[in-house]
Amino acid sequence: MSAPSDPSVSHTGARIREVPVWDPLVRLIHWSLALTILLNGAITEEESKMHEWVGYVALGLVGVRLLWALIGPPQARFSAFPPSPTQALRHLRSVLSGDRAVHLSHNPLGALMVYNLWLTVIALGVTGYMMTTIRFFGIEWVEDAHELAFNWLLLSIVLHIAGVAFDSWRTGISLVRSIINGRKRLPQGTKIE
Amino acid sequence: MMLAGIILMQVLSALFFIGDVIADIRDGEYLDNVHLGLEAFASVALIAGVLFLMLELRRLLTRMGDMDAGLKIARGQMVEVMNRFFDEWNLTQAERDVALMILKGLDNESIAQVRNTAAGTVRAQATSIYSKSDAQGRSQFVSLFVEELMSGDFSSDATDECP
Repeated sequence: MSAPSDPSVSHTGARIREVPVWDPLVRLIHWSLALTILLNGAITEEESKMHEWVGYVALGLVGVRLLWALIGPPQARFSAFPPSPTQALRHLRSVLSGDRAVHLSHNPLGALMVYNLWLTVIALGVTGYMMTTIRFFGIEWVEDAHELAFNWLLLSIVLHIAGVAFDSWRTGISLVRSIINGRKRLPQGTKIE
Repeated sequence: MMLAGIILMQVLSALFFIGDVIADIRDGEYLDNVHLGLEAFASVALIAGVLFLMLELRRLLTRMGDMDAGLKIARGQMVEVMNRFFDEWNLTQAERDVALMILKGLDNESIAQVRNTAAGTVRAQATSIYSKSDAQGRSQFVSLFVEELMSGDFSSDATDECP
C-alpha cells in the first residue's frame, strides 16, 4: 500500500470519514430522470411516440421515487427533507453568514428544489398525456402549460446545478461524487446537520 | 446497485403493461378479453414484485448499516487496545502516529511522505517504538496486536463467543 492513496488520511493529514448518504435506487433514479429530461428536451422529436414513452418513463421514475420516499430507508424518506420554507430561509441566512455545516440528506434549500423538480416533471407528464387524449388534444392552454412547465424545468435545472456547485464550494465536499458513488467524504470535525 | 437496477427495469415493464392496458381500454376493449386480462394480471404481478423488491432492498440497506455499526464498534475497541498499549510504552505523540501507520501497513518511506519528514526520522522513531515495546522489529511489533486480537481477552464478550 502506498501512503498518498491511503483513503482514510487526506493530504492535510486530517482524518476522513466516508458516510453513505444516497442508496443505489436514489442514485439510479436521479441519473435516469436526468437522462429522460435530456432525451425529451433535446433529442426526441416533439409529438413523436418516442417523446411520449420517454415522458411516461420520467413520470414512472418520479412515481417510484415518491414511493421510495414513503417506504425506503430513513435518508431517502420525506421525513429526512421536509419541504419547509422557514427552514430554507434560516438555512439561507446561516449560509450567508458563513456557516459551513454539512447536511447528510438534502439541505433545506435543496429539498425545496427537489420537490419543485418532481412537481414540474409531474406537471410536464400530465399535460403531455392530456395532449394525447381526444378531449384535450389541440387545446391551447394545455400546450401552453406544457411549454411553460418545460421552461420552468430548464430554469430549475440551471438553479439545481448552480446550487450543487455552490454547496460543494461552501462545504468543500463534492455533492456530484455523492450522487455517483453514494458517499460523502467528511473530514473529521465537520459540522453535520 | 444490481437490485436497484432490477427494480427500475421492473417498474418500466409494469409501466409498459399498464400503458398498454389503458390504451386497450381506451380503444374500447373489455376485461373479459383474455389478452387484456393477462396484461392486467401481469401489471399487478409486476407492481407486487416491485414493492417486494423495494422492501427487500430497504432490508438489505438497513442490514448493511447495522453491520457497518458493528464494525465501527469493533474498530473502536481496537483503537482502545492500541491506545492502552501506546500509553503503557510511553510513546510520544509523534511515535504514536508512526506506530499507527506501521500497524496500517505503511512502510517507512510512505510514512515519511505522509508526515512530511525525512525517511531517516521515521526510521529512528520506528526503532524507538520497537525498543519501547520490546519487539524485535516491524513484524513482531504488528504481531503483538494480532496476538491480542486472537487471545480474545481484551473484551469479556469476545471470550464468550469463542468456540
